[in-house]
Amino acid sequence: MEPAVELARSGGVDFVGLECLAERTLVTGLMERAANPARGYDRRLERRLGPLVPAAMANGCGIVSNLGSANPYAAVERIVALCRANSLPGITVAALVGDDLSGHLEDVVWEGDPLEEGGQWLGAHAYLGVEGMAEAFRQGASIVVTGRVADSSLFAAPAIAALDLGTEALAGALTAGHLLECGGQLTGGNLAATQGRQLCARELANLGYPTAMIELDGSFVLGVLDGKPARLDVVGTTLQLLYEVHDPRLYHTPDLTLDFGELLLEEVGENRVRVTGARGAGRPETLKAIGFVKRPGEVADVEITYAGEGAVARAMVARDVLRERVELLGLRDYAVDLVGIDSVLGAVACLPPGYAPPELRVHISARCTEAEEAQAVEDEVYALTLSGPAGGASLRSERRPHVSVVSGRVARSLVNVSVEYQVS
Amino acid sequence: MKISDIAAGRAGDKGDVLDLTLVAYDDEGYRTLAQRVHARDVEQWLAHVAPSPVVRYELANVRALKFVAGQALAGGVYRSLHAGMHWQKAAIWLLLDKELPDA
Repeated sequence: MEPAVELARSGGVDFVGLECLAERTLVTGLMERAANPARGYDRRLERRLGPLVPAAMANGCGIVSNLGSANPYAAVERIVALCRANSLPGITVAALVGDDLSGHLEDVVWEGDPLEEGGQWLGAHAYLGVEGMAEAFRQGASIVVTGRVADSSLFAAPAIAALDLGTEALAGALTAGHLLECGGQLTGGNLAATQGRQLCARELANLGYPTAMIELDGSFVLGVLDGKPARLDVVGTTLQLLYEVHDPRLYHTPDLTLDFGELLLEEVGENRVRVTGARGAGRPETLKAIGFVKRPGEVADVEITYAGEGAVARAMVARDVLRERVELLGLRDYAVDLVGIDSVLGAVACLPPGYAPPELRVHISARCTEAEEAQAVEDEVYALTLSGPAGGASLRSERRPHVSVVSGRVARSLVNVSVEYQVS
Repeated sequence: MKISDIAAGRAGDKGDVLDLTLVAYDDEGYRTLAQRVHARDVEQWLAHVAPSPVVRYELANVRALKFVAGQALAGGVYRSLHAGMHWQKAAIWLLLDKELPDA
């Protein structure tokens, strides 16, 4: 949380944004809300906003965040309580609601059949745009909390509220939002680059998070707080500009379809990059929807380690034994990986000569139709310690629900966006 | 020469779509990438994870190529049965580690 608190304290920013909701993390919120209707917001709310809210409110800095997750209204109630506990009266906190589609799933055009294989809905959400958030800031909210919104829109909304922009400037603000939303990924984190300055562990541990100074025409300069370690340059900005956008000339947001084909990046100082030429057109008539479906049974994840001389050979024998045993159980939907060899990038045709890691893990994941079957998979791995190759150690076993992500589109006119306010 | 000698990279995903970006360090590097790394090369390198065609996008203004592969993460990473369930951020080395193909 320190980067956000430092930014709020700096007096140099009007708003800070906290993007807390990956594609999948809503599942946790949905499950918590199902168990308790007063929960379902991001469980890190207190830890994150506890230090941030007092720092931001003392410096006239607004906050926007999607940590409302599956229950933005309940999050607002918690934040109002937090304001009162910090003797901060008169703070307007707004919840953006309407992204939750669970009451009208039939309005969504889904890709494929979401409920195949006996699936049951956990929930579904539309990706909302800037509309309600910008309105909330215009109405004087200091803190706006959402569930599922497009990340670029989340970060663009405060700027749009302040600047009342046209299409070109809106494209710029959304592009700034898109660049900011992954925080440290713009300032040197997750940067697979062999050229240029490599950040050391101490710099990464204290990484500065990015800011955008947005002009009226939508051009902007990216930066970090003076003195904070970071690597913010054209190469890293380009990687983040194109991150997960698919077609860079047709990047669909709920507010505009962005075109990065004419965009220009220029380094204008140390850790300063100027961005011009973002274009956009066409507010989409439909919104992206994403749903989560729980299917029967569960996935068993079980691992065991082999170490010392011949670890690779013993692990390979363990893998083959395990395959034969789970086939006998009748399982067909499973994978056995060697962690340290092929669990991430896939099969390696031949190991480099002399490759002899001192230890590696054998991992099985099996999709099981019932809990007893998942237990049987764990038992088979345990049996390896007695009846398999020598030295099977450090067994770890987990179960996870069998959840699928499904995508669709929903007409904007069928999504009722509204804002609910509370004052501390 | 490896791709990582002339370009930086980042991988991401949306649903079952794997999304890979390469950014050349300079103009010459971009020309080399654009001339020598084609969708069909990436299709071969991703054959064990992505059955469908790979689409290449070129962005000369920022010296970047993108390669987008559908159905690479069937049902999203939640459905994955591999130990590295969230393996997609490492997927960029499926490109960076490769020798540059001949033109």
